[in-house]
Amino acid sequence: MNTVRTLSVHKRPWSVVRTDHIATLVAIAYLAAALGVWLGLWADNWAEITGTMWADPSAAHWLGTNRLGQDILVRAVASTATAFEVGLAVALSSSIIGGLLGAVAGHFNGSPVDELILWLKGTIDAIPFYLLVVAIAFALQGHAMAMHLAMILAFWTTTARVVRAETIRIGQSGFIEAARAGGSTASRIIFRHLLPNLVHVLLVQATLVFVAAIKAEVVLSFLGIGLQDSISWGLMLAEAGQDIMAGQYMNFLVASLCLFGLVMAASLLADRLQDRLDPRTRHQRSVDIG
Amino acid sequence: MTPRIELLRFITRKLAAALPLIFGVTLISFTLTVHFGPDPAYAMLGKNPTAADVAALQRELGQDQPFWQRYASYLHRLATLDLGHTESSGEKVRDLLGRTLPVSIRLLAPGFVLGTGLALLLAMFAAWHRGGRLDRLITGISVIGMSLSFVIIIIALQAVFGVWLGWFPVRGWEVHGPASYLAHVTIPTLAFVLASIGYNTRFFRAMLVNAMSTDHVRTARAYGASPTHIMRYHVLRGCLLPITTRIVYSVPALAISGSLLLESHFSIPGIGRVTYQAILSGDQPVLIAVVGLSAVAFALTVTVADLLCRLADPRIRLA
Repeated sequence: MNTVRTLSVHKRPWSVVRTDHIATLVAIAYLAAALGVWLGLWADNWAEITGTMWADPSAAHWLGTNRLGQDILVRAVASTATAFEVGLAVALSSSIIGGLLGAVAGHFNGSPVDELILWLKGTIDAIPFYLLVVAIAFALQGHAMAMHLAMILAFWTTTARVVRAETIRIGQSGFIEAARAGGSTASRIIFRHLLPNLVHVLLVQATLVFVAAIKAEVVLSFLGIGLQDSISWGLMLAEAGQDIMAGQYMNFLVASLCLFGLVMAASLLADRLQDRLDPRTRHQRSVDIG
Repeated sequence: MTPRIELLRFITRKLAAALPLIFGVTLISFTLTVHFGPDPAYAMLGKNPTAADVAALQRELGQDQPFWQRYASYLHRLATLDLGHTESSGEKVRDLLGRTLPVSIRLLAPGFVLGTGLALLLAMFAAWHRGGRLDRLITGISVIGMSLSFVIIIIALQAVFGVWLGWFPVRGWEVHGPASYLAHVTIPTLAFVLASIGYNTRFFRAMLVNAMSTDHVRTARAYGASPTHIMRYHVLRGCLLPITTRIVYSVPALAISGSLLLESHFSIPGIGRVTYQAILSGDQPVLIAVVGLSAVAFALTVTVADLLCRLADPRIRLA
């Protein structure tokens, strides 16, 4: 096989998506479920009591009901939207912050600006994530967005590190130097020459942060310091912890499977994207938070 | 310059490099837990205090001093472990932490050691048989393990061993000897191993694959050196730094989430449960101590681990 690969960086992600049919289909199914919730087509009555306590699966309640008599399927579907809201908000924000700071640090490699950004990154990495969340929630005195803010503050660092390294690599390839010699300003170089070449790195990192945010939300909501007045798989699992002592497993099974499916699909997609976009084996510390 | 002085200078420089890090973590901890935290004066005065009362108490507590002065006194209190009393029971925070920290360590240490060791072993098998069936099996299971939340693992283990089989106690911590310790530590250890093994195996495998594709390892293999010899002398030593860094960094990520989740869910009187209760009740002195001390401790651990690895790595010169 001597065919020359001519795929451009911008074309590659879509060819990747075609290769991993199952993960893509699963991800699309989740997204469709979330879209339906956002459009108000289904699952808007997740807080309503529509049945008896711990009812068995039936035509009215396909997956039964919980302790309060709320429909488990409806709650699981409504949680899909919550997962996407948390995941997308955190992934987008930390990609923007991490991308910009990483590109600036890499472009001014070795300068005081770089040192400052590296110091900030090192400092945040050195504060254990869950304690950072606790501290921020404490400082904001239970503000509804405290959890989101904490995740963004904690997760931009990984993106920034990868983007910085990539920026330094690109900077050595000549065209950045040419642009600088041609009189381009730093901001023009960063926005016109660097960031377009970093899109694929950002895409992979954003997917990893998406997964990390969803998993962190589950842990925090389970502990009771995450979402309030909402529904999520983490909140369902918190109920399930009580339910299983009474021999009721449906809440646990449904919430676990929904969470597992989305996390697995998104992880596989991130993996495939990374393999395709980056042929070198690159070691990286993925954002894992349990 | 003699090598010994050179070594000393290297160690001093490395330790000095930790100062900005300590400054950073204490500054953020102070800003979040003390500066922006709720004003203790209002809580202490109870209902309907007058403005003069509040001002007087704030002056007494040092609340009216400028930011940097309060930061300095915060640093001083952390360094001398003068952490005040808890709001809930009035116990000294230092005594509370001293009492609960050993429980957490005994709870988590077996899982941490086993999880890391097993992952390293699996990663070595996978990397050695790279691309083979064993590699694909291990990698596949790792991805599944990574997708399982710690929460799911805890509830599932509780259901299987605690409720169905009833083999192990799933609540409390009545440890009076080796037998009761084993009974109480089994489920947390299993949970910890399951939660960490996926991430660790994948990461270690990537590192080892990288190290094994170097020329000197290929040469050693071609000369017929045994797998254990190659692993021990040519591969593992080469990736000591990233592997140790990884292990050190997984302490806060896994140990703190593990401690919070396991201890709060299974009612184990460790530091995680204390922190959890302090979060729910807003017990400021406990939170200040836990956040501040663990951030400093972690920053120091990272520095020392980095230093030791660099001293052990023959490739890194002391320049």
